Amino acid sequence: MNLAWSSYRVRLPLSLSVSAITTALCLALAIGLQTLANLREDQGRNALSLGHAMAAVQVQALRNEDVWLAYSLLRGPEGGAGDAVWILVDAAGRLFASNRPREYRLDQPLSEALPWLPEPGAIGPEETPGRIVPVDQASVRRVLRLPLDSDGTQVGELIALLSDAPYLPRFEEIVVGGILVTAGVLTIWLPLGWLWGRRMVAPLVQLTGCMSRIGKEEARQLHCTVPGGDSEIGQLGRQFSAMLAALAEQEALERQMIQAERLAAVGRVAAGVAHEVNNPLGGMRMAIDTYRLAQPLDARTARLLDLLDRALQQIQGAVSALLVEARADTRTLTHQDLEDVRTLAQPRLARSSVPLTWHNVFDAPTSLPAAPVRQLLLNLLLNAIQAACEGGAVAVTCATEENVLRIQIENSGQPIPPEQLAHLFEPYPASRPHAQGLGLWVCYQIASQLGGAIGVETEEGITRFQVTLPLAGGGAR
Amino acid sequence: MTPMSRRAFVTTLLAAGVGATFPARGTAPPLRFGITPVMLDDRIGFLNAWAAWLSAQLGRPVRFVQRARYREILDLLLRDQLDLAWICGYPYVQHQDRLTLIAVPTFQGQPLYRAYVIAGADTGIETLESLQDRLFAWSDPDSNSGYLYPRFYLSGAGRDPDRFFRRTFFTWGHPRSVMAVAEGLADGAAVDGYVWETLARRDPAMTDKTRVILRSPLFGFPPLVAAPNLPDAERVRLRAVLVGQTRDPVGRALLAELNLDGFSVAEPALFDDIAAMARQLNPRDHS
Repeated sequence: MNLAWSSYRVRLPLSLSVSAITTALCLALAIGLQTLANLREDQGRNALSLGHAMAAVQVQALRNEDVWLAYSLLRGPEGGAGDAVWILVDAAGRLFASNRPREYRLDQPLSEALPWLPEPGAIGPEETPGRIVPVDQASVRRVLRLPLDSDGTQVGELIALLSDAPYLPRFEEIVVGGILVTAGVLTIWLPLGWLWGRRMVAPLVQLTGCMSRIGKEEARQLHCTVPGGDSEIGQLGRQFSAMLAALAEQEALERQMIQAERLAAVGRVAAGVAHEVNNPLGGMRMAIDTYRLAQPLDARTARLLDLLDRALQQIQGAVSALLVEARADTRTLTHQDLEDVRTLAQPRLARSSVPLTWHNVFDAPTSLPAAPVRQLLLNLLLNAIQAACEGGAVAVTCATEENVLRIQIENSGQPIPPEQLAHLFEPYPASRPHAQGLGLWVCYQIASQLGGAIGVETEEGITRFQVTLPLAGGGAR
Repeated sequence: MTPMSRRAFVTTLLAAGVGATFPARGTAPPLRFGITPVMLDDRIGFLNAWAAWLSAQLGRPVRFVQRARYREILDLLLRDQLDLAWICGYPYVQHQDRLTLIAVPTFQGQPLYRAYVIAGADTGIETLESLQDRLFAWSDPDSNSGYLYPRFYLSGAGRDPDRFFRRTFFTWGHPRSVMAVAEGLADGAAVDGYVWETLARRDPAMTDKTRVILRSPLFGFPPLVAAPNLPDAERVRLRAVLVGQTRDPVGRALLAELNLDGFSVAEPALFDDIAAMARQLNPRDHS
């Protein structure tokens, strides 16, 4: 639950809703209070003008002791059901009339009827008579006291008790109206806000999902859709994509380095072993030759020596296969050398009936030796024809590109599984125990020794070997 | 013109579709009909309809004259500034020598009515005795039911009507007295029984807040009287129209509005009881 509340998916629409509710309520309350204040002011003003309007007739009623006249004036057309309580007091301070005749009886002393009534206070000569005093009674909030004068003598007083009672329902109406409008708006806005919140938060959720996969999966294979757009989240998405790409690149680089180091180590071992084996082998074969020449041999010895020699030759051949000497040839590579490879592969092509697309635009002076490059290309081409199988196709492109010879061999067919890909260029790979196993190792050795690089990528039924060799070849270690 | 032929003439007019709204034209001066604030004075629409009907019957305009006090109507009538007035039996007996009876309304079958003393229904007061030292509303000092009779009753009971109540005031109208008691302004009031009964039909919510605690014996109903100098012919004509009002459908409708059965011819002796009470209370006025 805590997690759910802390989620922006919840918090965003929730905060939208809360702010909408708060705004509406504050608005309703403010309007309600303002209305209440205005109504109170109006009430006071109306009471004062009403008091002034009936003052002259009430003086007459007091002088004539006409209770009914005073009462009918105070009673008004609503029959005493008006907002205010009106009380007419005679000169002796006793009640003369009221529009609440049951509560305020004729002749009742004012001090007894309204003991809490504040003193009217002196009124300046310039001041219009009549004053509204706030009081703190349960049902009375303001009191209007209007002295009734006749010829400079006070003959009575008109008192109005004003309450908020008539306005509270209106105030409540406004507040309740505000709440209802808010509720109405919210029934529309809440789902919309919810959806909007989800939409706003969705890219963040997407990013979070992507990020959580880093470390568990290889960056290269993390296919995340990241949010776009110009917003901060879009920028974040782009940064994240860039970071992911950098991460993938770094991982690839690391993998290549590990592979290169491993292959270099293997190469060193192979070369070392080959040299160590070749030296005694040479000695042994020389000894056999010397022995043959030095004396006539009986048939049995001759046969034994032949057997030994053949066996040693086989060892020498096997060891030499591991030792690639790329720069043994002094002839440099030409356009025709590459064309030769095509010719050499023709018989295999014919047998397997795999169509070959050949595109050779290499035509640049180069110091690259002809033989290893021919061997490299032939190896790769034959491999490709074999991998293409029935119904597959092979395409070869040779081109010059910024001081580099770029050779690309593509074949359709089964992709190479990832676990094989990592050890593809190693000699006698464990994954292909039945293959002869040195073809790609040789290719790798050649490319490395010529200062170039060889790489493979496989995707959606296409396996693509790419070889780049510097035209000024031979800068290798 | 005899009354009969006049009536026939008016009936013909009404039958011809001129009806009660027939506007009386010509140079004839309007008949000035004074009424007191009994219960009609707030019903201008009804008065206009009655005036129109009377105009059609009399062949001359009729104008109702209203004043706040009985006394003012009486003064106008005595000075011949009114031709006809509907006044109380009490002022009639005070000026019987100068005023002529035209007709007396009949209420509940007879030209009689009662005075009521009422109290607030929620006060718990059930007798006039209990109204002692309370607030009491008189209708008008020239009213029999709203002033003369309750004072006579109190005097008869050995009470001083001027000191029996804590305070009294005049409402200058019977419906107002009922209202004053219903709304709690007064604890009790003296009112015209006819007015109270009519209000009970028209506005029972108000009369339900009052309770009748005393009903007087029957008195002559407040009469319609003619001014001292109204010509005899006019008096006869007026009497005929009023007494004949029940025979006309519009007239009957107007009477129903008034809650009256009709108008009848009465002798001054009908008001002897009131005169006796007035004499007893104010011996000097009738010496």
